Amino acid sequence: MAIDRKFIGKSWPHVKYEVCREKIREYALAIKDPDPHYIDEEFAKKTVYGDIIAPPTFAAVFGVKLMEMVFSDKELNLNVAMLVHGEQDYEFYEVVKAGDRLTTHSRIVDIRIKEKLDIFSVELLTENQHGRNVCRGIYTFVVRK
Amino acid sequence: MGSDERKKIEKGLTFTSEEKADKYRAIYYAGASGDFNPIHIDPDFGEMVGLGGAILHGMCTLGFCSKAITGLTGDPGKLKRLKCRFSAPVLIEDTVTILGEVYEIIENRAKVTLKVTRQTGEEVLTGVTAEIEV
Repeated sequence: MAIDRKFIGKSWPHVKYEVCREKIREYALAIKDPDPHYIDEEFAKKTVYGDIIAPPTFAAVFGVKLMEMVFSDKELNLNVAMLVHGEQDYEFYEVVKAGDRLTTHSRIVDIRIKEKLDIFSVELLTENQHGRNVCRGIYTFVVRK
Repeated sequence: MGSDERKKIEKGLTFTSEEKADKYRAIYYAGASGDFNPIHIDPDFGEMVGLGGAILHGMCTLGFCSKAITGLTGDPGKLKRLKCRFSAPVLIEDTVTILGEVYEIIENRAKVTLKVTRQTGEEVLTGVTAEIEV
């Protein structure tokens, strides 16, 4: 069954995430990127950021809880077994540092119904504890029918 | 890459990198990201849904792209935009090759395009573009 276009604009409760340097390290090593900005505290202290920062695509980590909320949403009733991540678009406004307390807001920004596919896009907008935006991600998923 | 060896970011600059999706890469990525979709960590499930085995998270491949770009700039905070379409799966033990080119510089933004293929030549990500602050 197609996803109803009436769900464009649907949002979920915001999700909070506290960034920890060990998680940054774990993520950086998982993408095989041992850049000292991510893993070397002494190096990081001397940078303009003054502390360990997260790789840009760490956004996937603080976005994952919201994605779980989208995928398990009873109203949307997605066939998750037929769902794949189709496209990703990130805009980065400010680096994420160890110790940041992030808040991420979500909403469906597009639903396209095709003969054999439903395509929907979720916007995640994340701000830090200073109230400044750090990242906007548009996650586009394809559900085969 | 040390700062002395770093190339100036200008139109026409090309760069390349290669990453292996080693046997446990998807397991590491699942643990680090929290994405435990069985298509990434369970080869039997991957077979069952017609993927030919477990596949690497597309976001991990995009992470490899991010690394290629931030290695070029030497400052991860300079990456301002990164987008892609996930066009084909990366299977475990595949090797991913990234070819990047700076194609335009407008004011303080360098625009970069990336061609991302697996060892068969198939493009695993398409429409990969990035913007770097210069």
